Amino acid sequence: MTHGPYLFFCRKYHILLMQPAHNPVSFLFVLMISSVLFSCNPGNRETESESNDRKIGVLLVNHGSRSEAWRNSLLDLEKNVRDSILQGGEIKDVKTAFMEYTEPSIATRLKEFDREGYSDVILVPVFLTVSSHSFDDIPTLIGQKDDPQSIESFKIEKMERYTPQAKVHITPLLDFTDILKKNILRRYTEVSKDAANEGLVLIAYGDKTYNTEWTRLMQNVGDYVKEHTAVTDYDFGWCGHIAHYNPDSTTLPVSQVLKKKKEAVVIPVLVAFDEMFQGRIIPNGIKKIPSSKEKVIYRPDAILPDRNVEEWVIRTSLDFSNNIVHPKTAKAK
Amino acid sequence: MFSASTGRKLRRLNLTWHRDLGYFFSSLIIIYCISGLALNHLDDWDPDFIIHRKTVQFPANLSVSQVTDDKVAEFSKLVEESHFKIYDFPTDNQVKIYYDNASLHVNLETGTGQYEKIVKRHLFYEANVLHRNSLAGWKWVSDIFAIMLIVISVTGLFILRGKYGFRRRGAWFMLAGLLLPVVAVWLFYYTS
Repeated sequence: MTHGPYLFFCRKYHILLMQPAHNPVSFLFVLMISSVLFSCNPGNRETESESNDRKIGVLLVNHGSRSEAWRNSLLDLEKNVRDSILQGGEIKDVKTAFMEYTEPSIATRLKEFDREGYSDVILVPVFLTVSSHSFDDIPTLIGQKDDPQSIESFKIEKMERYTPQAKVHITPLLDFTDILKKNILRRYTEVSKDAANEGLVLIAYGDKTYNTEWTRLMQNVGDYVKEHTAVTDYDFGWCGHIAHYNPDSTTLPVSQVLKKKKEAVVIPVLVAFDEMFQGRIIPNGIKKIPSSKEKVIYRPDAILPDRNVEEWVIRTSLDFSNNIVHPKTAKAK
Repeated sequence: MFSASTGRKLRRLNLTWHRDLGYFFSSLIIIYCISGLALNHLDDWDPDFIIHRKTVQFPANLSVSQVTDDKVAEFSKLVEESHFKIYDFPTDNQVKIYYDNASLHVNLETGTGQYEKIVKRHLFYEANVLHRNSLAGWKWVSDIFAIMLIVISVTGLFILRGKYGFRRRGAWFMLAGLLLPVVAVWLFYYTS
């Protein structure tokens, strides 16, 4: 009756899938159980055969932007993961969809998958953490939910809802892993000059409904950088809709950090480069700091490109396809 | 430049165009103005919807596994919803329940639920649909409308003659009106 428990199961289950590599005993146990199951139950052969008839595609879904640079980063992500995902042979195609602003939209891509006879689509949301987009908008766009606010905003934004014939499996978000922490640490160390005298400022998009989760994510990332460098202070702010795209939300955490430290290093926690955010809102916020040129270190970069993100997309896609093709084995795990 | 009779004909034509286009587009001008006012204050209010919010207290310290269909139906009764569509878990301590035009977001740890019912802000909503070109094909109507507004403005400049005509009083007022956007753009470039 509900997709909810299923979706939650998928998210939790993903973590279980990731664990056997770290735990050889449980992995062997899983292998034993699955071999017993497959050898004893003839019904499984049928399931296996049905599974082999499946045609699986991967859809990388991102927020979308009017910025061409932003879209190109996401298209590059697809290019960089394509061969590795297709190599196994279970997944037949990889496509990218933009949730808002530009084509190809999610509806366009799902229609293509349907036309090409796909039975399953693994939807990988390239989003940092839980937000109304990942939790409400995407499932509503593909007909898995009917969020009233999302439906109304789609009408206004002319975003098409489409329920595909293919079964759509939504994967977990980026924050289920350590990728973001490592990404920010790498980018910080690349620009840092004197960590002991610097404070870290993280600027992310933010989300009103899931402010607690976004705050926790920033704290986790900030703590991680503290653990691995000589940085002792950090702060964070939002630059998205929650902050009304106001540069002051960047100025505030920078000035907080500068109360304690000589310099502030500002790192955008944004998936890709967008002229509006890294090019205008954040630098305009920095400019308001007196002597900002001497006191603030800022490089307008983004999370992408990142080899770890690519590997995460590849691993997640392959795990999910394995779960679709060999459901019994995966469940035994 | 023109003979007197040609001049009279042109003025009459100018007046006719200004008058009839003005009549024809008056409703659309008002609709766009209402919507313009509404959208101008996007940061202060939602120009399309009225969202009725209600905070409801449920038992605290529930776990995700305890949230069953029956429990969700129980929650729903407390917000006067007779049946729910689906429910899902955004995090391991939250559940969101979906209804027709409403949702209930419950923090299972604290037991605090946020119920939101969405209702269209009629008149504004419809005006905004047109102003934002949310209707397929409407952008062509909008383009024509924009061009016609230019025609209405320009023809308006040449209706009166003499002391209150464009060449005397009109030109000064037009320049004064132009000053406003010029100063605004200057401020944008040199102060921000």
